[in-house]
Amino acid sequence: MNQEVLLMYEKRPKTFVKNLILILFFSIVIVWSTQTMKFNGLNPSGIVISKSILDALAKPNLAWLLNFGTGTSIPRLMLETVAMAFLGTILGAILAVPFAFLSARNITGKVASFLGNTVIGMIRTFPIFILGLMFIRVTGPGPLAGVLTIGISSIGMISKLYVEIIEDIDNGIILALDATGANSFQRIRYGIIPQLTPNFISTAIYRFEINVRNATILSLVGAGGIGFTLTAALAVYRWTDAAAALWGIVIVVLLIEVISNKIRSSLVSGE
Amino acid sequence: MIVFNNVSKVYPNGTVALKNVNLKINQGEFVAIIGLSGAGKSTLIKLINKMISVTSGSIVVNQEHVEDLRGKKLRQFRRKMGIVFQSFNLINRTTVVRNVLASRVADMDIVSTLFGIYSRNDQILALEALHKVGILEKAYTRADQLSGGQQQRVALARTLAQRPSVILADEPVASLDPITANQIMKDFKRINQTENITVIANMHHVDMALKYADRVIGINKGEIVFDGPSSQVTEELLKQIYGRDITDEDIMFRDQ
Amino acid sequence: MLTSKTPTSTNEKRNVGKILIDFVKHFFERHVIQTKKTRTTTLHDGASITKPFSYAGIYLVVLLALTYYFWDLIVVTYFNVTPFELFVRRIPNFTNIVSKMISDFNLPYLPQIISPLVDTIQMAILGTFIGAILALPVAFFASQNLVKSKIVTNLIKLILSFVRTIPTLVYAAILAFAFGYGTTVGVIATAIFTFGILTKMLYEVIETLDLGAFVAVESTGATKTKAFIASIVPQIMGTFVSFTLYSFEINIRSSAILGYVGAGGIGILLDDHMTWREYGHLGVILAVLLIVVFIIENISRFIRKKMS
Repeated sequence: MNQEVLLMYEKRPKTFVKNLILILFFSIVIVWSTQTMKFNGLNPSGIVISKSILDALAKPNLAWLLNFGTGTSIPRLMLETVAMAFLGTILGAILAVPFAFLSARNITGKVASFLGNTVIGMIRTFPIFILGLMFIRVTGPGPLAGVLTIGISSIGMISKLYVEIIEDIDNGIILALDATGANSFQRIRYGIIPQLTPNFISTAIYRFEINVRNATILSLVGAGGIGFTLTAALAVYRWTDAAAALWGIVIVVLLIEVISNKIRSSLVSGE
Repeated sequence: MIVFNNVSKVYPNGTVALKNVNLKINQGEFVAIIGLSGAGKSTLIKLINKMISVTSGSIVVNQEHVEDLRGKKLRQFRRKMGIVFQSFNLINRTTVVRNVLASRVADMDIVSTLFGIYSRNDQILALEALHKVGILEKAYTRADQLSGGQQQRVALARTLAQRPSVILADEPVASLDPITANQIMKDFKRINQTENITVIANMHHVDMALKYADRVIGINKGEIVFDGPSSQVTEELLKQIYGRDITDEDIMFRDQ
Repeated sequence: MLTSKTPTSTNEKRNVGKILIDFVKHFFERHVIQTKKTRTTTLHDGASITKPFSYAGIYLVVLLALTYYFWDLIVVTYFNVTPFELFVRRIPNFTNIVSKMISDFNLPYLPQIISPLVDTIQMAILGTFIGAILALPVAFFASQNLVKSKIVTNLIKLILSFVRTIPTLVYAAILAFAFGYGTTVGVIATAIFTFGILTKMLYEVIETLDLGAFVAVESTGATKTKAFIASIVPQIMGTFVSFTLYSFEINIRSSAILGYVGAGGIGILLDDHMTWREYGHLGVILAVLLIVVFIIENISRFIRKKMS
């Protein structure tokens, strides 16, 4: 009896050394990374500023924040930001469809899909704010540049998710339809589209959430929306105004998150 | 030896779980506790290792008063008590042997616990425990990849690695199919006999209790209504314990 | 759901129009006109079934309405101010940039971007690391099943919901403004953002954990801390590493642009080159970024697969 136990003991996975090496490796990487921080102490004025901003968060400029009319209105700016994200997402979701179909292995085969995926990957890695600056050259600063930027840049991520959905199509359903004598259009209409549509829509809504944040980022670059107001307020030390802008962002993003989660879960449970 | 002296337990919401329970269990006995759900079986077991405390009365285990135990003394006391749960309670993404070794951390320093550094002795101990329940070959498999019966065996091995003097089992086979349940009960029986470890088990299924336990304690509405050898349990007696006729639910093998 | 049309392949092409009309008709009937009567089908023996109300029609209407409204808000107002031909005339500005990026591709420039690129990567690594280290303990305190006090858990979750909605770039902009330019600001901004998203991901996992193992180990006589380390920590380690790597992927991308607001790294160069129209240099940076992100994503994906 003891023999078997001892044998088993000898067979134990020697993970200790492996783990040690891994930890060592990561420690080195992290220590190496600290080299980037030229830590010259915390600038005291910086702390004062940070504290002012944090304090201001508790009392944001409500006149701006709750102003639904004319003049500097955070709601209006956020609406613009959301509008940018909305239109951009729709643009991207539509444009992504052909890209995705061309890059799905079960539609175009190995080589073409590989190329397609590479192109999609390149679009995805293209820094969104460079794209933004490029579009600003065409449209001038303002939300239209934002729409176009978000539209084109979304193609990357949306296509990638679409491709996963397309490659996941259950062929069994299509075969079953074949067996009942359906023609190709009926196959598409009743077999493929019902499998794709809910997921495509869910993807688009997911992307919309992310794009609202992207729209905020773009607005910092000049593409309309709330970013400019934020930086402008900071530049003239108007903390409560800046705080109002931040609150605007937070409230809207959270609201959209809640709504989109509700819609997506009802999609999944079948509407 | 476990002694209950006039033990009563009343829960904060007013439920009287146990009323004036008096018991004496000697080392090495195999006791099954039967009764309706909610009769007080679970409460009785949980009182023994102080997962809950008595409202009145006292429990003395191997000359120690359980109600006085606290902190370090309580932990030392618990090391000698193994518990097997109905839902196995294994650590999911970990290997079988590490699950068994988890019962050794009580004696280890915190650094070794953090990094999972177990001594050679502990590892051999764990492997031997696994061998005793017959699943040595699964030692390095992930625990959640095993069947229900195998997982319960791992749980049993975990208690064995504590070198306990008592094993408490809270409905240990209620989640298992009849064949596996029998295997596990046989394991309990064998360990009880070869290692002289006291086994106290809550049993939902009457036939299993009668088949494997030497002694049966029947509880009805918080009071002990029977305490004696399993051979003396008749159907009449069961009716008294359960307060009703025995139904199919109380039996694991339908054709008995 | 299937019609009883008998297919004839020769008529397939002619059917396209018919299929489209049928689709629209179907949608209209199923999703728009919905009274109890139209949703109910009664069989010949009297049994009937009523389809549940479908919200698809409502969603579609809302979608179209919003699209129209937003289109009006942005696109129409734009073209009210800017004539369309001006827009068309300026389109080459865009295509020019793209073509110049390729044609003026300035490879000898490569060595000069190594240093800021390394800065960018280091920022991402350090920021992710710090954020992750902070996220783990806080996630525990935010978990309903570990901390009994609902006040504490809900308060933490509330603060987190603010912290994670602000993009890294905004943090960087504010911090750069307060503390001056430099990579340190970038690290802190990344850390804050990582902390925000990682903590949420973690407590969502922790709250679904089975604590039975904890009870079991504690009952063997171990202290609460040791029981916790032995039973809970192994269950989330894998997920923790996986989520951290995922955050790292996100952070590498955002790191690249932090420089734009002054937080160091390659972002400053990007802005410079745009301003000075040095598209060839820009192209080199983008190409290198592409490769770096590609490598990191694949490594991260590989490790994450290995862990599950």
